[in-house]
Amino acid sequence: MEALLHNLKLSWFSIKRAPLPYALTLLILSLGLGTFFSNATLYYWMNRDPLPEKSASLFMVRLNSTPGDCTDCFDPPRVMSYMDMQKMSGSGIPSAEAAMFSSEAYAKTVENQQATPSHVNLRATQRDFFKLFNVPFLHGETWPDNNARMEVVISKNTALKFFSRTDVVGQEMLIDDQLYKVIGVLSDWAMLPRLYDVNGRRSAEPAEDIYIPLETAYDLAIQSNTQNSFFDVDWDGDVKTYPQMARTNFVNQLQFWVQLDSPEKVTQYQQFLKNLVADEKAAGRHTRPESNKLDNILDVQKAMRATNEQLDAFALVASLFLLVCVVNASHLSLNRYMANQYEFSLRRALGASRLQLQSQILADVLLSSVLAFAAALLFAQLGLWTINSLLPSTRALAGWDWQMLGVMALFVLLISYLVTLYPALKTSFSPLNQQLKQ
Amino acid sequence: MSVHLILKSLLRRKVVTALLLLQLAVTLGLVVNSLLLASAAKELVDQPTGLALEQILTVRVKPTSASMRVEPALSEVINRQLAAIRLIPGVEAAEYANQTPLRQGGSSSNLFETDRQDQSNIDAVPYYNTGSQIFQVLGTRLIAGRQLTELDKGTQNIVLTEKLAKQLFAEQNPVGKSTNQGTVVGVVSDFYSQRYATDQSYGAINFMPMARAEMGYQLMVRVAAGQSEAVRQQLTDVIRNAEPEMDIDTVMRMDENRDEVFRSEIGLATLLAVLSGLMLLVAMISAYSHAHFHALQMQKEVGIKRALGASKARVLLDVLSESWLTTAIGAGFGILVCYGLNISLAKVISIPAVPVWLPLLTLVLLLLCVTLATWYPARIATRISPATATKTL
Amino acid sequence: MIKINNLSKIFRTDLIETHALRQINLQVNEGEFAALTGPSGSGKSTLLNVLGTLESFDQGDYLLDGRSVKGLSDRELSALRNEKIGFIFQGFNLIKDFSLFDNIELPLRYRGFSAAERKRRVEHALETVGLAARRDYHPSQLSGGQQQRVAIARAIAGEPRILLADEPTGNLDSLMARQVMELLEKINQQGCTILMVTHDPDQARRANRHIQIVDGQLNDATLYEPLGYEPLTAAGA
Repeated sequence: MEALLHNLKLSWFSIKRAPLPYALTLLILSLGLGTFFSNATLYYWMNRDPLPEKSASLFMVRLNSTPGDCTDCFDPPRVMSYMDMQKMSGSGIPSAEAAMFSSEAYAKTVENQQATPSHVNLRATQRDFFKLFNVPFLHGETWPDNNARMEVVISKNTALKFFSRTDVVGQEMLIDDQLYKVIGVLSDWAMLPRLYDVNGRRSAEPAEDIYIPLETAYDLAIQSNTQNSFFDVDWDGDVKTYPQMARTNFVNQLQFWVQLDSPEKVTQYQQFLKNLVADEKAAGRHTRPESNKLDNILDVQKAMRATNEQLDAFALVASLFLLVCVVNASHLSLNRYMANQYEFSLRRALGASRLQLQSQILADVLLSSVLAFAAALLFAQLGLWTINSLLPSTRALAGWDWQMLGVMALFVLLISYLVTLYPALKTSFSPLNQQLKQ
Repeated sequence: MSVHLILKSLLRRKVVTALLLLQLAVTLGLVVNSLLLASAAKELVDQPTGLALEQILTVRVKPTSASMRVEPALSEVINRQLAAIRLIPGVEAAEYANQTPLRQGGSSSNLFETDRQDQSNIDAVPYYNTGSQIFQVLGTRLIAGRQLTELDKGTQNIVLTEKLAKQLFAEQNPVGKSTNQGTVVGVVSDFYSQRYATDQSYGAINFMPMARAEMGYQLMVRVAAGQSEAVRQQLTDVIRNAEPEMDIDTVMRMDENRDEVFRSEIGLATLLAVLSGLMLLVAMISAYSHAHFHALQMQKEVGIKRALGASKARVLLDVLSESWLTTAIGAGFGILVCYGLNISLAKVISIPAVPVWLPLLTLVLLLLCVTLATWYPARIATRISPATATKTL
Repeated sequence: MIKINNLSKIFRTDLIETHALRQINLQVNEGEFAALTGPSGSGKSTLLNVLGTLESFDQGDYLLDGRSVKGLSDRELSALRNEKIGFIFQGFNLIKDFSLFDNIELPLRYRGFSAAERKRRVEHALETVGLAARRDYHPSQLSGGQQQRVAIARAIAGEPRILLADEPTGNLDSLMARQVMELLEKINQQGCTILMVTHDPDQARRANRHIQIVDGQLNDATLYEPLGYEPLTAAGA
């Protein structure tokens, strides 16, 4: 300990003797690290596994059932029709399954009917949604079945916003002028990235405020606000006929998720889809070539082309920038050590062993790491702020947790060591007499 | 000093030189590609839109009450809002539509000539359900046939943009042709419609009602030149006064819509430009410290040269030419890096190929930066006394 | 060749003024081989630096080859050094990154000679010092005596009017020192004026003029009869 303090003191003296070169080295190193960290942060949040305990068993299904006889169309639509969803539901193979789409509405409480209604984001879905994605309930529970009912599950923040408390099971709400009863309140929950709905590149958006039964959404003609595709639909536009029309035509807006707990189940489900398509084809439907997609939740961004290319491109460039900065810093640090070479040689002549000099170098590394880490975090914050303001879709991705900070600190230590290694070796192991003679 | 002497002394410091060259090479590669992306983004933003960007305001609104989003209440509300807007001084025309041009997302449909579906089908043509002042708002010119009027309300008559009409009917007269979306009665000049449509200039305009406004609708206002800010300030209040149960988004001028559409391109280009600036800064710091260190370490050598008759100007030139030469060599490798990086980036985003002159231009920029950074240390080197040569250290 | 009148040099710090050279008068004639001796701190190095225009002076005048160096610009002084003066240093002062050829060529480059002319002169100088075979060696590959011979080659390649040598044998053992001295004498005989600072009374005696400096003042200028030198072969055998 005493030796470390002594070494740290010597490091500090050598910095004080020539503060400018040291400051420049540190500046360059922390610029590179900061830029790299800001990008790595976004990249991490964008590409992490939000459900490590069950991501392997979650799959999104797509069928190539769009009407029309296009023989070279192998890319199934991103959203499916109610008819397809119904044919897939109840196969018994998945341990949970739910169809869903996102929408929006205006809500207020019954007590406060005169108030201006507030904008809320809706998710129309089925009872297994919460089970599929491990969504925790604070109060109440999910719907007993997938039938239409005027009952909603709301997020904790929504409860607090409308009722100023969380235990509001049994309370009523007006959503787009319709009266619903609250049957469940969720705990604080968000999925980042929001892999259950990445369509429209919305994987960095927050979770919805209110969950309503899918059948109710169809009954009330609530539509997806992400993607609605009509294929060969003949409709006069009358809202009264919408529920019937949307359930029996290719009005595609659904995403369908299943939980398959083992590889056998996955194979079984693929076979089930194959059979389903075969039956459809036999019945003269499903005119496009068979192209069933069963994408794991971790592949879904790629499959739906919802990755953020700008971030990917920037990742490439930020890594190169880090490389340049590291190269540059080791160049500067080599210069610095060579300027100190005489002192090093003198100390060795006075009897310092190579080990002792190495521990001096380690003390240098330690001190540089601490300073570089602090500066790099500062630059990373600046970087995140810049990226967030230039690419607003990345705003939700800018946080750090302790684990990330730990990894970053280790990374800084490693890089500082790398930057110091060659110069230190070069100075401490070159022939002694030659240096003293100079 | 001569090139081969600098080269010799560089070769004797292999590691330092390699580090320096690597860094210069990557810097050049990055700066070139950043400039390329920035110019591509600028081109995208600056492309002609056929719209008077500064004279069109748009705002998305949505009734907060579900009953007001269907007919007949919907039309009644819209008419009330439009009437109020048209009274604002500086407003030349105002119209509603299901969507505005130059915006991310929207509604499109396939379009084909009724008898020739297979040959003429176009996948994604944005359609505009709107009213009679739309042509005035957008400022389109009539190319053929006639514009839609109040009399076309609720009919299946449509007006196409010029490029779309050309694509569908080639040299034939489009007026009177029948399509799956209605009968063509006119053709207007092109405008930038939707980015991800089959073609950005495709658009089909009809006066059919919207049926319902589940996604809300757009109000578009044509203002007199220079009046956009004055109108913008009143617009939200005027709309709210016309109907209070209304969710009103931010009022956007058309050029702001455009910037939003190209946001990710502009964002990335700006980001890379910032990074390029940092890279150049790092290169300058590097050149500075290298030369500075050199001046200190090489005191004796510079002293000897001075004693042998090198003038101050000569010493200055020596230090600078070493910087220039390393920069030039580094940049030489940098050209490889810049093509490599270009290929890698092209796998992720769309980026134009590197034109030959750009690396050269960047080299000049790099040389300028390096010269600037080397100047001060080089001046210090010239101050080394020739008497240093006779001192024994 | 060299003529200085009442030349003084003062080193100033905040507190004290040191008179390094006081009112010196000196004339060195063409073809002379003059030795300059004096105890440490006497000002002999300063005098040599001033003579070599490496340092400026405060008072008096200095005429080199009939031309006053006072008030010359850096460019003119550099050119003057380059053309008229050859330096030989105690520490050799070769540039270690350069080959022998490059080292000798360097001052010729400053003069602006053509490549062919430079090559001719470098090769001639290398021959004179007997190192023609090693033109592509680096200084670190040579012994001290050889390095000093390279330094001499560098000094004479430009055919200077005067050679200034600062303890040229100070870092060499006696055998090598002797070789170097013989070389200098040979060069002197070919007509080059030499002024040499030395510690060694024997060497001073071998010069045809001995100048002593004490406390920044030329004490006496004693003229010795030139002594013949014994051929190296005899001594080495």
